[in-house]
Amino acid sequence: MDVSVADLQFTRDGRSVLQIPALTFPSGTTTAVFGPNGSGKTTLLRLIAGLERPSRGQVRLGDVPVRQDKAARRCIGMAFQTAVFLRGSVRHNLDIALRLREVSASDRRSRIEEAVRECGVAHLLDRPARHLSGGEAQRVNLARALALRAPVTLLDEPLAGIDRSARTQLLADLPRLLATFAATTILVTHDREEAFRLADRLVVIIAGGVKAAGVKSSVYARPPDRETAELLGYTVLPANGRVVAIPPSSLRPGEGSLTFMLAVEDVIDMGNHLHVIGTIEGERVDLRLPASMAPPSAGSNLKVHAESNIVLLQG
Amino acid sequence: MDDLQHGVAEAFRLLVTGDPELYQIIARTLAISTVATALAMLAGIPLGYGLARGRFPGRTVLLSAVNTGMGVPPVVVGLVVWLLLSRSGPFGSLGLIYTKQAMVLAQFVIATPLVVGFTAASVQSLPVELPDLLYTLGAGRLRRLWIVAGEAQLGLLAAIMAGFGAVISEVGASMTVGGNLRGSTRVLTTAIVTETGRGNLPVALALGLLLLALAFVVNALLTIVQQRQRS
Repeated sequence: MDVSVADLQFTRDGRSVLQIPALTFPSGTTTAVFGPNGSGKTTLLRLIAGLERPSRGQVRLGDVPVRQDKAARRCIGMAFQTAVFLRGSVRHNLDIALRLREVSASDRRSRIEEAVRECGVAHLLDRPARHLSGGEAQRVNLARALALRAPVTLLDEPLAGIDRSARTQLLADLPRLLATFAATTILVTHDREEAFRLADRLVVIIAGGVKAAGVKSSVYARPPDRETAELLGYTVLPANGRVVAIPPSSLRPGEGSLTFMLAVEDVIDMGNHLHVIGTIEGERVDLRLPASMAPPSAGSNLKVHAESNIVLLQG
Repeated sequence: MDDLQHGVAEAFRLLVTGDPELYQIIARTLAISTVATALAMLAGIPLGYGLARGRFPGRTVLLSAVNTGMGVPPVVVGLVVWLLLSRSGPFGSLGLIYTKQAMVLAQFVIATPLVVGFTAASVQSLPVELPDLLYTLGAGRLRRLWIVAGEAQLGLLAAIMAGFGAVISEVGASMTVGGNLRGSTRVLTTAIVTETGRGNLPVALALGLLLLALAFVVNALLTIVQQRQRS
């Protein structure tokens, strides 16, 4: 089921929070809505879920406006950033979610068992849901949204607030889970790694506006401006009166066709490589050098160059 | 000390001898306060929920008004209700002054801010995303209210206890709008005032002890339910 947004505007306290002329999330795809904190990502997700009323325009699930049709809202399964549970066990929480969707008792049982098994939380079924650890709670939160088997699944920062090892494991498991349970998925994240690992499409939102949208490789290859390029991980530098965006790890020591002078501020020995922190014409730059290389001293200048995949930016 | 012992003995005597007037007063007291508290719950729980969850201009002012209402002296409520229901008042034609209905109305006005305030506080203590979660799961407005009320039931039981405790023990409003008419609107608190005025201290004390016992039994029952939910 396609999710489409047309002429969408959302204002809060007289201030425009989100303005999107047109945007489509194609059926069967996983899209990461990616942007910095406060850019309007979660607001977009809430508008899609029908939790907020647009100031102008509408959100459609297929052909149906989501705010005006209760049945359309039932096409959505959503996992909130904070895992919220009712009193009672994990089983009770999943069961009530499915009961609210009017799923029959026998289907509820099988769907719950399948969702908790696939999400790796079968052993938590009879535990009080409010007493789970951060990682467990996030998995149960996900299991509840996926058990709905909704045509559209919305995930708000699905890996937020959990420790590193639980995050690593869930990040590895999520693509399989989404492929098993979800048809069209829209997930919100401010983390570049999450966006690229989980999604096949990207929507970059900055300050309430869509800066780029499409298949992630094309969005990555053509950042429209400095902010988007920086968000995507590029190092943005002035070069010969132009502004260029250099992909991560493309800066190398030595001279080339595009050479810069790096003012070294600090060098950190990371064991397997050297992490050099410095500036090029006032722009902060992080450079990775092989551990075998003689470390440059703080305060010195180091010639670096960029060779491939350089993007020329406007302005 | 003698008065207290005398009072306890008199309370037992009144209960054991089955004084019909006393039983009528106890039944009337319970009926008026229970109906007033039930009506306050019907109005106060949705209002408290709306105040806790709503986003509208004047919400803070309204919450402040409710919090102020929680401390309004019952005698002032009684005076206002009396002015409204008295023969020369705007609702005088209803003929409600000095009736049990007038007492229920006054007690309803006393209990409602307490129920609204306690409900708002207990709903606000729940995760803010809870109603949103229920909405996305497809629960309608009433279903959401019901489920959230279930989640906030410890606080809601506290609201009922506060409301019932306030109305069963108040005297000013009941005296003003009920008139303390024997066999009609006399309740335990107004009876205590009457007996004290007559200098009949052992009986007044006995009625006071009965009132305390009554309030204790009702609150103990609610507390048992509350603590069962907690565990």
